[in-house]
Amino acid sequence: MATTSAPTPTKTPAPAKSPDRQERDQREFGWNVVVWNDPITLMSYVVLVLRRLFGYDHPTATRLMLQVHNEGRAVVATQPREQAEVSVAQLHSFGLQATLGRP
Amino acid sequence: MAQVLRRRGRIQVRVDSREREALIGILDSLGPRLAAPLASAPRAYDDDDLQAEYDRWVRPDIDRGRETDLGMVRDALSAGEDTLPLTEAQALAWLRAFNHLRVAAGEILGIEGDGWEDTATETTKQTPEYGVLIALGYLQEELVVALGS
Repeated sequence: MATTSAPTPTKTPAPAKSPDRQERDQREFGWNVVVWNDPITLMSYVVLVLRRLFGYDHPTATRLMLQVHNEGRAVVATQPREQAEVSVAQLHSFGLQATLGRP
Repeated sequence: MAQVLRRRGRIQVRVDSREREALIGILDSLGPRLAAPLASAPRAYDDDDLQAEYDRWVRPDIDRGRETDLGMVRDALSAGEDTLPLTEAQALAWLRAFNHLRVAAGEILGIEGDGWEDTATETTKQTPEYGVLIALGYLQEELVVALGS
């Protein structure tokens, strides 16, 4: 790896978010969609559902499914609250155990 | 044994009359159980107030959707045909319906952990619910392959 230091590009610092704004962003946008392990649902079915609902490719959906299986749960998406609730409802309609919550 | 085939983008389920009868029997026996909330019905929120809101505004749509899925499977099986052509949307409805029925069967059997296939007693294996888990699991696998190919 090259060690010569290049001139540092000037970069306009992003405006700092106020604590209120940060809190609001977290409240509105940072909701985790969590899928939980259950002993009945087939692994292949979970992969298919994750691909269909979230558009994941097969390796990503498989990795998440295995995380659910091995660790008991996996965050499959982080979305604004309303969207996260829709995602959880869709997962429930497929019969999966899913919750949403703040990180 | 029932088969799910995919040819030229079309999905077909092949089930003989005996299998159709058995599947309709499963719908008759477990379907009504799904109308009442299962003990294992998933929550959306930890917070009780948010969960109550979800149950009031979102859950009814999920319940209606499940009934529609079950009805779609029943209608197809009741048509008296050995070969049932399914669209992708219908195949997904079958998958959802089978999953709900399997979860209900698992609840009746008191299954709470992974590995139940290896630890089931001979008595459990003789129950109709265990048969539901195996038979519908097989059909789900077939449908998943058909949808993924």
